Amino acid sequence: MLTPLPANQWDLQKAAHLLNRAGFGGTPDEIKAFCELGIDKAVQTVLDGPDDSTQFPKPTWAQPQNLLQMRQQMATLTPDEKKEMFQEIQKQYRQDDLDLITWWLNRMRYSPNPFREKMTLFWHGHFATSVQKVRDSYLMWQQNELLREHAYGNFSLMVKAISRDPAMLIWLDTRVSQKGHPNENFAREVMELFTIGIGNYTENDVQEGARAFTGYRIDPTDETFRYAPRLHDDSNKTFLGKTGPFTGDDILDIILSQPATARFISKKLWTFYSYEDPDPALVEALASNFRGTSYEIRLLMNTIFRSSEFYSPDAVRTQIKSPVQWVVQTSKLLDSPMPRPLITVNALRQLGQLPFAPPNVKGWDGGRSWITTSTLLYRYNMANFAVGNGLLHIEPVRKPTNPNAAAMPQSYDVRNYNGPDLAKVIPTQVRTDPHRLVDYLCFRLYQDPLTPRDKATFVKYISDHGPNPDDNTLRELLHLMMSTPEYQLT
Amino acid sequence: MSDNDHIIEPHTSTLHTRRQFLRTSMLGAAVSFTVPVFLQNTFSTLDAMAADSAIQTETGKDGRILIVLQLAGGNDGMNTVIPYADDVYYRSRPIIGIPKGQVLPLNDYAGLNPKLAGLKGLFDQGNLAVLQGVGYPNPNRSHFRSTEIWQTASDANVIESYGWLGRYFDSCCKGADPTVGVAIGNQTPQSFDAANPTGVSFSRPEQYRWVNGDKSGDSAAVYKEMNEPILDPAQLDENDGGSVDSLPGEMRTSHKESNLEFLQRTAMDAQMSSDEVLSIAKKFPASVSYPHTALGDSLSLVGRMIAGGLATRVYYVSQGGYDTHVNELPTHTRLMTELNDALVAFAQDMKAQGNFNRVLLMTFSEFGRRVAQNASNGTDHGAAAPMFVMGGAIKPGLVGSYPSLDTLNAGDLAYSLDFRSVYATVLDKWLRAPSKDVLGRQFPLLGLV
Repeated sequence: MLTPLPANQWDLQKAAHLLNRAGFGGTPDEIKAFCELGIDKAVQTVLDGPDDSTQFPKPTWAQPQNLLQMRQQMATLTPDEKKEMFQEIQKQYRQDDLDLITWWLNRMRYSPNPFREKMTLFWHGHFATSVQKVRDSYLMWQQNELLREHAYGNFSLMVKAISRDPAMLIWLDTRVSQKGHPNENFAREVMELFTIGIGNYTENDVQEGARAFTGYRIDPTDETFRYAPRLHDDSNKTFLGKTGPFTGDDILDIILSQPATARFISKKLWTFYSYEDPDPALVEALASNFRGTSYEIRLLMNTIFRSSEFYSPDAVRTQIKSPVQWVVQTSKLLDSPMPRPLITVNALRQLGQLPFAPPNVKGWDGGRSWITTSTLLYRYNMANFAVGNGLLHIEPVRKPTNPNAAAMPQSYDVRNYNGPDLAKVIPTQVRTDPHRLVDYLCFRLYQDPLTPRDKATFVKYISDHGPNPDDNTLRELLHLMMSTPEYQLT
Repeated sequence: MSDNDHIIEPHTSTLHTRRQFLRTSMLGAAVSFTVPVFLQNTFSTLDAMAADSAIQTETGKDGRILIVLQLAGGNDGMNTVIPYADDVYYRSRPIIGIPKGQVLPLNDYAGLNPKLAGLKGLFDQGNLAVLQGVGYPNPNRSHFRSTEIWQTASDANVIESYGWLGRYFDSCCKGADPTVGVAIGNQTPQSFDAANPTGVSFSRPEQYRWVNGDKSGDSAAVYKEMNEPILDPAQLDENDGGSVDSLPGEMRTSHKESNLEFLQRTAMDAQMSSDEVLSIAKKFPASVSYPHTALGDSLSLVGRMIAGGLATRVYYVSQGGYDTHVNELPTHTRLMTELNDALVAFAQDMKAQGNFNRVLLMTFSEFGRRVAQNASNGTDHGAAAPMFVMGGAIKPGLVGSYPSLDTLNAGDLAYSLDFRSVYATVLDKWLRAPSKDVLGRQFPLLGLV
């Protein structure tokens, strides 16, 4: 169980697999260079990625606001002025939100440390918080940085930090929970979704735990966490069989001491990085490893990325790409720039994974839930756009508070997105032979051969267009090869 | 209806449509479309196997239609159907209680939220049933688990793999078009999960098609060919499919579909359904005006598909935002308004089409909410709650009794009506499907239909 992959079994496909899963994939040249490192050096390269914070500085708008001052200012305004100011703020938030998503997607795409961004994406889906309720781009950015900081650090520290994170305090209502009137939202979800998982606690534990997470406030002058002792319930609580005047941190310590917590988190990590429904014995092995290191995430990831199970047929080329993975990986594979923010953001919304707006606190279900007839067609049409064929449908955005607002046009015909530089992506020497061309693109797009029948179909398409296919034909060939079930897998 | 209504004579062994053949032979066996089942079985034996499944679905334009409307997040049942004659209600909800004078009375105890005036009208006209105190034993207060229980119709302590509608498709809709189940939106509801999954989803029919950059049409032909079933065994690759040995006789159903096979099937369903949906959408614009809300759009689309005769038995739509932990009143009031306006428009649409008697719309939410408001003028997760059933041919009125506000179950309203009785009634009496087979046991039927 979890024995390291023998060094002599390391090959191009396994190197591509590690790049795809630990990050967002790479071009044929990147895969080859990565493969030549050998597995030890390759895993080490992944885990020891450089710090990229100077390359991706804090967005200029990401500053705390003095909410108290704003409120006082508002109180002096007439109703009309108030409305105007409110609309101004809303508009600003929408802009900042778009900027925030773009900022992160670019970081995923261009960071020299994609592993950290992929892990941050995992934790964002885990501690799923939505700007729809938080309505504060600065706090969403701050939470994102918190997840990045702890992304492969220590899980105990991360959970405690997230319990004080202002965006989370808003998202799960901890900021209004107080002695005598505990709000159960955070206490329930922290167990059900963030740590031990359902079935390992009772309704009574939820109610008792909720009393511990009282007195957590957000300072209105600078949007930081503030503990208000007078609002905290310091009486005895009976939680998971223990009794005492527990604080929120005490509750988290009790949860973290449960073996079920290590199982729940390691299974979720395995599912995200390797494959679904791992064998219980494998989960147990991961969990004991995780517990043994007092929840050091980096060490667990090291074990996973070196294990032979991670490179088994159950894992390689079996995962359905998440929409974010699809968008970022496509841009990498085609060596092309990211499309305009509005295009990407709308596509991700259509495909069901808009960062900073998970559907609920459970995050994205992932796997097959990404795919329906409509999202699959949208992926195929997004591929048409990505290769530079233009025309992509954009859904009008409708804010729940203003159902009549159709903020965006119905469709974008964006001719100024040219897609990949074909001279770079399809070397001239492979263009002369349709078989060689299709084989080359198979490696670029899937790192896996096609069935003979599908390959014959593509070869015929190219052959029918004469000996030297023009750019339009090559673009459409790329589009066809991306309009396949195979391209949805990684 | 007579007892024999849901038994249809097996039809003769001819291949009716290629699609029917396709779904029965391939998906009926839950294997991918490249499995060389064709090498071993002639068309006629396959068709006979399909006929053996005894119960066939009604297809085409005349069948009855079920519309399931999910109110996601846990709708506050007590502010939807309000126990306005009970002091406990007002004592428990000093801020968020709806004043007695505003409630639209259904009887001398309970009445509708003031924003549901249109539904009150439908109730008075005999097109709406209000089911009170619906829930299940040992209620779970997790959104996700309770939603799963409703979607799979399982007992609270049982994890069921498939959805209740998926099991209906499995037992009654073999060989049907993938459009037998339609989810509006981009998600497939868990209730559609099945041994032989079927159903499609879309939200903008005009965009529900494959676009490309090749004006010659060559690329479209390739795309079509790649997503069409392989009917000529000679075209099959030897290494495309599964083992031939396991197929003859009993068709195997234990094969676990791989992600690749799942994607291939979905791609085929998308290809098969997109032409149909697009052509209906072109021919049938909305005939009545719907509110410009997400729910209004969804129901408008359902209305157009029904008008166009899409061979769909079950439409699934949802409205989100019901998780009202904080400052509930403005949010819930807006949701009630949107719900009311969209349902009223849909009823008008169906009446105008002459299809109101063919549709039954049913609402559900994963749970109701606590009796008392919380410190944030909202409500936390609760248990039993009401459901609405709307249609031209339903039996209207108040069903069941309002749960007691004095005798609570762990602080929550106790259920008096198991939601699976509602499902069973819809299956048996509306869809004419054997509810006992679908739900695993016989639940008492209601006089809803």
